[in-house]
Amino acid sequence: MGEKRFMKGNEAIAEAAVRGGCRFFAGYPITPQNEIPEYLSWRLPEVGGAYVQGESEVASVNMVYGASAMGVRAMTSSSGPGISLKAEGISYLAAAALPAVIVNISRGGPGLGSIQPAQSDYLQATKALGHGGFHCMVFAPASAQEAVDVLYDAWDYAERDRNPVLVLMDGCLGNIMEEVELPPMKELHDEDLPEWSLTRRNGRDWQGNITPIYTEPILEGLNAMAGEMYKGWEEDDVKVETFMTEDAEYVVVAYGIAARVAKEAVLTLRAEGVKIGLIRPITLFPYPKAAIRDLDYTQVKGIIDIEMTVPAQMREDIELQVMGRCPVYEYGRSGGCLLDDDGVLEAIREVLEGGEA
Amino acid sequence: MKTSFVFSGAGGQGIMSAGITLAQTAIDVGKHATYLPEYGPEQRGGSAKCTVVVSDEPIVSPLPRQCDNLIVMNEQAYEKFIWDLKPDGILLANANRVKEAPDRDDVKVILVPVDDVALELGNPKTANIILLGVLTGATGIVTREIFVQSLTEKFGKKPDVLEMNVRALDKGIEIGQQYK
Amino acid sequence: MAEYKRASLLADSPSGYCPGCMHSLATKLIAEVIDELGQQDNSLNVISVGCSALNILYWGGDFLSVAHGRAPAAATGIKRVNPERLVFAYQGDGDLAAIGLAEIMSAANRGENFTVIFANNQTYGMTGGQMAPTTLIGQKTTTTVYGRDPATTGYPLKMCELISTLEAPRFVARYALNSPKGVNDARKGIKKAFQIQLAGKGFTFVELLTNCPTNWKLSPLDTLDYMNTNTIPYFKPGVYKDTEVDAK
Repeated sequence: MGEKRFMKGNEAIAEAAVRGGCRFFAGYPITPQNEIPEYLSWRLPEVGGAYVQGESEVASVNMVYGASAMGVRAMTSSSGPGISLKAEGISYLAAAALPAVIVNISRGGPGLGSIQPAQSDYLQATKALGHGGFHCMVFAPASAQEAVDVLYDAWDYAERDRNPVLVLMDGCLGNIMEEVELPPMKELHDEDLPEWSLTRRNGRDWQGNITPIYTEPILEGLNAMAGEMYKGWEEDDVKVETFMTEDAEYVVVAYGIAARVAKEAVLTLRAEGVKIGLIRPITLFPYPKAAIRDLDYTQVKGIIDIEMTVPAQMREDIELQVMGRCPVYEYGRSGGCLLDDDGVLEAIREVLEGGEA
Repeated sequence: MKTSFVFSGAGGQGIMSAGITLAQTAIDVGKHATYLPEYGPEQRGGSAKCTVVVSDEPIVSPLPRQCDNLIVMNEQAYEKFIWDLKPDGILLANANRVKEAPDRDDVKVILVPVDDVALELGNPKTANIILLGVLTGATGIVTREIFVQSLTEKFGKKPDVLEMNVRALDKGIEIGQQYK
Repeated sequence: MAEYKRASLLADSPSGYCPGCMHSLATKLIAEVIDELGQQDNSLNVISVGCSALNILYWGGDFLSVAHGRAPAAATGIKRVNPERLVFAYQGDGDLAAIGLAEIMSAANRGENFTVIFANNQTYGMTGGQMAPTTLIGQKTTTTVYGRDPATTGYPLKMCELISTLEAPRFVARYALNSPKGVNDARKGIKKAFQIQLAGKGFTFVELLTNCPTNWKLSPLDTLDYMNTNTIPYFKPGVYKDTEVDAK
């Protein structure tokens, strides 16, 4: 039985990271994620870890690059504009095959946008988190508790793959306070440091080096290996919640905070006898393709994509699986205007009544 | 049973702390609660708003459009959120800063001059706790005992602050019970 | 008579730097100092971007190759989680004084306990000889074909002078590699910087004035005279800050 606490999402993320073995953090202030660095600035030293406030997001992600090369579980966090600045470093992490965890508590965009919550970074997170055509596993928890669970295990994926992992949440989930159950501290030992790490030269008779630079034909081979890794994720690592889809005539697809508001609407409509269900991707990459592709389209009359961004960004991924077998509708709020229960319910009702969402 | 609360007022009126205290107290009695602050760019003096949802079941959506209870500490907050209160909901307003004749007759109105009451008690900072007391007295959302327990957890190291807050709570409950 | 041996951390292959390029010399100096200090197994070279990145082929010791300009940030991450290692970054002028200006100044200002060795040859070598932040006034490059004009491009950045204004750095010095004395002084400077780091005392910065025969379009020998006439009068060699001495 874990320890229960009423915690802010951002602080729950930070504490779960520490318990999951994070011992290095570098970041730069940006709303709405500031509680993560603030918390870790005192928490990491308590457990023998290190915290650095970088001079920029660019510097911070490169500090993570350095710490990760030493085999230490390292993390940075930011919000949209800062994630753009980290894009260079994330690409280098992927190139150098270095594990790391990056958290994006997203807000309205593009540009400086707004500091209020929004789910405006889906495309950036899933399609191109940096240059050069690489992917990270992208987790999209929908509650403080799920964020705790994801952060606790994030380095297990990152180290398994030697690839960065992205956790995508929005400002609502970063700032919400909810009850969470915290897992116990993972015990990490020096002898468990990854064998590739540059930590201990002594006793090692080979040169330790880590580089993001390769030439042909080695780079092509590495690109192909990355491709195999992404396929492996699709087979083994997809996480998705499907809710009341068995007999559903309408299926809502939503992730993160939008999925919670959407689920409330599904529950309300079910109580009225409407055959409606929800598919909630927990991993946005690998995308839960099968959950959408394998729906019974003789039964499903429409798919409704609900996101806290306008226009919807996940829609293309949905449509690739629906393959024209039923209409796809979208509803969203954007730019810091939040989704709410009534708005989502009304939008779904419009679809049910034959209108557009 | 799911109940939602919106607290709003000016920054510095204890809005956020009232919301957190209510949510924490609800959890202490074994209910589920979410607290969602709405944050603005100002560090001081801006408007403050938070939404608290309390339920016997795990909370699915923390984003209701309309709330069951609206607690406003000033006129600006009243104007902004009065139509976000459900019909038959409770409006709890600081009569010192909100006009006496609300626009809505489909809600239960509780007007308390909390600034005056807090001053009488000797500390204007306790206005938010008085409001929570009124809410407790009027709705019975949580019991006094649990509230005192949460306040003790929060202020236990400062006995005089705790004592002041418990007095504020009791005064609020006393006022709230008239509206039960 | 001491036996002359190849430094142990130089890869067992000839350097691929252009003939007469002082990157080879600078790299050798660092490797020799590491041998002298017995730090072969403990050293970690943070390799930057530019011609310096070729060291991923020539450096036989542990290294981490990093993004353009970010070596001081990466070294910060390394050193904070592994304080006992001898960590140094080797950066060129475009890397350090242009794209990485924020990283070098901030790491120096935090007093990070590592050493930055700055190779200043006043040009972007690997990309073909464009103007660098340290390019001299009037110097012709592929992006200043009539010579660097301060009216539109400002003045060459003096990094030792800038960094020595900061409180935290412990040792800041500049050496010119175009004379035997300069080379010997540089070797001593690098050694001193490493010793300060190994004692856990803080940030050290060693600037080496180097050349680029290829992009300066001079013979290696002529670059030595060019440096005496043009580079050294502007970038004056010397110790700019030494808290070991200043404190006395």
